[in-house]
Amino acid sequence: MATSLPVDDVTPHKSQSIKERLREIRQTYVFRIILQGILTAWAATTFTFFLVRLLPGDPISIKTDQLMQQGYTAEEAANIAATLFRYDPTVPVWEQYIQYMSSILQGDLGQSISSAGTEVSAIILRFLPWTLLSVGSALLISFTLGMILGTAMAYWRGSLFDNVMTGIASTLSGIPDYVYAIAIILIFGVQLEWFDVGEMRGGVSQDVSAGFTFAYIASVIKHALLPVITYVIATVGNWMLAMKSSTISTLGEDYINVAKARGLAERRILFSYVGRNAMLPLVTRLAISIGFVLSGSVIVERFFEYPGLGRALTIAVTTRDYTTMQGIFLVITIAIIASNILADLMLGWLDPRVSLEESA
Amino acid sequence: MDWSQLFRIGLFLGFVLGLMPMIWAAKYQRYNLALITLFASALGGFMFGVAGAIISAFLCLTIVISYTYVNQQDPFATRATSLDEVTFDETRFQYFQRQMAGIGSWLRGTARMLVQNKGGFIGFIGIMFFVVLTVFGPLFVEYEGNPRMDRRAEGANSLYATPSQEFPLGLDWQGRSILSHIVYGGRTLIITSVQAGLFSTLIAVALGSLAALGGNRIDGILNAMANLILTIPNFPLLLVLASIVNLDSNLLLALLLAALTWPALMRSIRAQVLSLRERDYVEAAIALDLGLTHIIMREVFPNMISYIAINFIFAVRGAMYSLVGLVILGMVPLREPDWGIMIWNAQTRGAFYNENAIWMALAPITAIALFQLSLILFTRSLEEMFNPRLRQGL
Repeated sequence: MATSLPVDDVTPHKSQSIKERLREIRQTYVFRIILQGILTAWAATTFTFFLVRLLPGDPISIKTDQLMQQGYTAEEAANIAATLFRYDPTVPVWEQYIQYMSSILQGDLGQSISSAGTEVSAIILRFLPWTLLSVGSALLISFTLGMILGTAMAYWRGSLFDNVMTGIASTLSGIPDYVYAIAIILIFGVQLEWFDVGEMRGGVSQDVSAGFTFAYIASVIKHALLPVITYVIATVGNWMLAMKSSTISTLGEDYINVAKARGLAERRILFSYVGRNAMLPLVTRLAISIGFVLSGSVIVERFFEYPGLGRALTIAVTTRDYTTMQGIFLVITIAIIASNILADLMLGWLDPRVSLEESA
Repeated sequence: MDWSQLFRIGLFLGFVLGLMPMIWAAKYQRYNLALITLFASALGGFMFGVAGAIISAFLCLTIVISYTYVNQQDPFATRATSLDEVTFDETRFQYFQRQMAGIGSWLRGTARMLVQNKGGFIGFIGIMFFVVLTVFGPLFVEYEGNPRMDRRAEGANSLYATPSQEFPLGLDWQGRSILSHIVYGGRTLIITSVQAGLFSTLIAVALGSLAALGGNRIDGILNAMANLILTIPNFPLLLVLASIVNLDSNLLLALLLAALTWPALMRSIRAQVLSLRERDYVEAAIALDLGLTHIIMREVFPNMISYIAINFIFAVRGAMYSLVGLVILGMVPLREPDWGIMIWNAQTRGAFYNENAIWMALAPITAIALFQLSLILFTRSLEEMFNPRLRQGL
């Protein structure tokens, strides 16, 4: 982006050492990444503002109509809708926009429509931990597993192991995540009866009280198991294939040959020379993957009745709870933007070439 | 005009147009080829209507010409005894033949590579299986839309049934054959997904080229738009939109899906166009003053078509994922028959508890999984075919 970014001073200061200069450039890279993230977040927030307000048959007028049918006068209905959506209908749109932005910055997302009196932020805080737990651990497991298997596949490329694993990985990655969710329930739950479908619903068993006890943690893990397995199966194939091709291209580099010629231990070459470099392109994919899994969780959580953000979103959509919907949508979007920033920063840290190139 | 009528016209048109490659092949005593091409264009017309008839007849003609055309400019092909017999003057008709033969031999080469590539061939067969199933299945299987209470087995408390000889995939909650719903339920889904993929590809190609060639300001705006849409999670946005707008038109759904999926391809097209502009052979073509049409059609386009084709299939896959997802969650108006609605019905009618009812959900998810798998296998092999570096087992 060629916006108002500070242009580096062309003439180098004599008093600065090269080290300091490099650090300065690094700081501008970080600055750029964060600035870009903030701009995207602002654009996404603006987008939601107009989505709820300006579409034909927008939620606010629908809600107002509903209230009027329930016997409120037009003025009362407009007032109630205004409190729910946290906006003042008497002021022009741009002023509403400023109010909306300032309340979001304060973490105020309005009140839920379907369950009156509940803050949207409270709803989100109730559902968010479960999504963070299931999606986060699934991503961690599948990323690690994919790295290990992908490296092994590349290392023994052309062997039977590689061929079998490539076949499995292509097959796994080709099937949508909700198909796995349904298949797990139908085959292992209903047909083979390995687990009780009804019992596995929810985030934690009803009879276990919350606390830092063994029973509670065990119950949480048990309930998260099925969604996590679904996400892992659906994403691990892509990681394996990506890591394999990345490792193969790294193996062809000159410095690997030099390392071999120097007689370094094979394990050392594999981990510190090949592994680290091959992982670089995958770090950026991790961010994209977070967004993808979050989207998929909307459907997967519905089948497992898992109380995550995705489930909250479907409930909000079916009950036409526009304020909650708007809030959850915003949180998911911001989470994706944040993970993008994180991935970019991590890439800059793992591979200093990136940050140097971008600032140059 | 309803669908069956359109297909009948397509069959007729395919038959008539198919006479063209047939006569051409017969003229060169290639009778097998003549029959195959006539049959193929009639089939294309029957399967894909009028447009299918025209396209398949055209492709058949190119293949026939590629078999029979002898390039007069090539001293080896003409078996000329001296260079004097080689002539570079050609009539318009010969020029037309040469162009057609070029397309035809490219098609034959691609088909040969496809057959040699195991995964790709399996994927291709898979896709064709579903196309044939949805097109020809209705000829053999009758659609069962109404409840069939008479099928209740003695002593059973529901109409569900597991697969039997009479009903290969069992019966659903209303006693209807699940097989008939699988056969009829794919059409709308596949057509809408393909439409969405087409729209998305068209938008991406148009905007990508525009961004690469239209100057800095347009480039900046389009890039910012693409970044924004890439960041916003597609499926949640679709859900929110579905609750606000009434998504009862398939075309509207396809357009909406396309509007959310173009940025990824658009960015690659932009990068491709930018890099192609700098390549030596394009610069050479410009220096030789070969004309814009030649440069675009002969130098730039062939380098992008593989990429576009692969991304088109990815877009179709993504669209199908979202479509089925929306239906499973009950966010779009339900219209039977449809694979997604079968899953929706299964979950609302208790397939997730009843062992006898699992086929209601198992059949459609298998169909969706196999179709998606075929698509991805096909794209993987397309990638390998178009990218020689991948072909060497790398």
